Amino acid sequence: MDAPLDSLGQFEQIVLTAILALDDNAYGVTIHAKVEDLSRPKKASRGAVYATLDRMEDKGLITSWLSEPTKERGGRSRRHYRIEKSGEKALRESARTAQRLFETIAQNLGGLAWKPPR
Amino acid sequence: MEAAALTGPPAWLERIVLLTIPPAAREAVAGDLWETYRSPRQYAGEALRTVPFVISSQMRRNLNLPALMLQGALIFLCLGGPAAIALLPALMLRDAYQATARPSPRRAFRDSILLATGVTILLLQISVRFPPGVRSGLDSFAWLSLFLQALLLSPFLCLFRAGLIMQGDRKALVAASDLPLEELARHYRDFTHDVHRRNLLQAVMLALAAVCAFIFAWNVMLAGLFMLVAFFLLLDTAPLPVGCDFVSLRGRYQQALAHQQQLRCFLCWLWFAPALMFLHARLIESSLTAGRPVAAMLGSIAAVILCFLVMALNREHGGRVQEQIGALDRMRERMTPAAG
Repeated sequence: MDAPLDSLGQFEQIVLTAILALDDNAYGVTIHAKVEDLSRPKKASRGAVYATLDRMEDKGLITSWLSEPTKERGGRSRRHYRIEKSGEKALRESARTAQRLFETIAQNLGGLAWKPPR
Repeated sequence: MEAAALTGPPAWLERIVLLTIPPAAREAVAGDLWETYRSPRQYAGEALRTVPFVISSQMRRNLNLPALMLQGALIFLCLGGPAAIALLPALMLRDAYQATARPSPRRAFRDSILLATGVTILLLQISVRFPPGVRSGLDSFAWLSLFLQALLLSPFLCLFRAGLIMQGDRKALVAASDLPLEELARHYRDFTHDVHRRNLLQAVMLALAAVCAFIFAWNVMLAGLFMLVAFFLLLDTAPLPVGCDFVSLRGRYQQALAHQQQLRCFLCWLWFAPALMFLHARLIESSLTAGRPVAAMLGSIAAVILCFLVMALNREHGGRVQEQIGALDRMRERMTPAAG
């Protein structure tokens, strides 16, 4: 969990952001829906989301656990996810990089309406 | 999302999909597929797109590279390069489908009986096809006693598996449905102390074995490997948690358990590797060069039985660790009166 700060891939950033946004309701189906929303217009496969979740859990960026089984899932449990401190750190670092990229692009190309908060 | 799955997929279709999902991810992935079910066609399509990713992810997660390399080297030594190339992906796939529980006694006994029956049939075939003179110089009486031993193999293997199952039953799991944070931390501390003690003991034993191997010039490469692993075991310690909450500590505990299981699997193969190499060099290869195919075949059977014993040990221990990881997965934090 105190893994060295590792730079995140783009898809990892999206999945981590989805978990962050979903808070207590982050599990396979909702994470996939949020990832599809965040990565528009690109489509994201659910399998790729699972593989990324597994990889990030092995890196110690997130933690998972099983909920109680529910009827609407055929009596099966949900695997919930939560961001760990190292995951938050990595995501902040990625956001700072994205902000620098955004500012550089806006300076050179112009025309970008939205400016991220500092 | 919850309202979408008023009805589930057809039972036959679900059974097929369940079979293809690796056990470690089955509960969550099958539940997600059920939750988003709209029609059998959509369900099958979604499963087809999802399951390959899940399998490859589980292959990566359960990849025990040192054990796989050791197994590959042993297969290469005993059966040659093509067999190693063909069997390594199969071994990786088997790891992906690693069971999340200990094998049931029924299954364990069935495997033992199948192996023993196979050996007996093979010996029967040899005795029919080869005249007594060719049977490695064994006379009929010696051959008959060997055949009877093969018949006795089944109860012996069953007894071995039964012993492993009973030993596993005696070991308590951290299976409480809820624990306070302090209790979980205590379990984790006990576990790390156990690991430290066991690693130290194994490191000393491996170093001694390596020294013996150097002195008696058995196999320099294997001795070097023993020494290397001994050093690794001395350095491999799980850090004690500081300032972790329940969920983080549980995650760390699960990762440490999985790591130790992989290490133990590798060590098990490592300890049996000299015996397998001895069987190959002294019984199989020398018999083949001396033109005694039956003796070589008997040596191969002995090697297969030895591999079966190692795999049984690993399966039993691995199953127990997976049960423990599963129990932790479902564990909730119990608030102590002071904390709550």
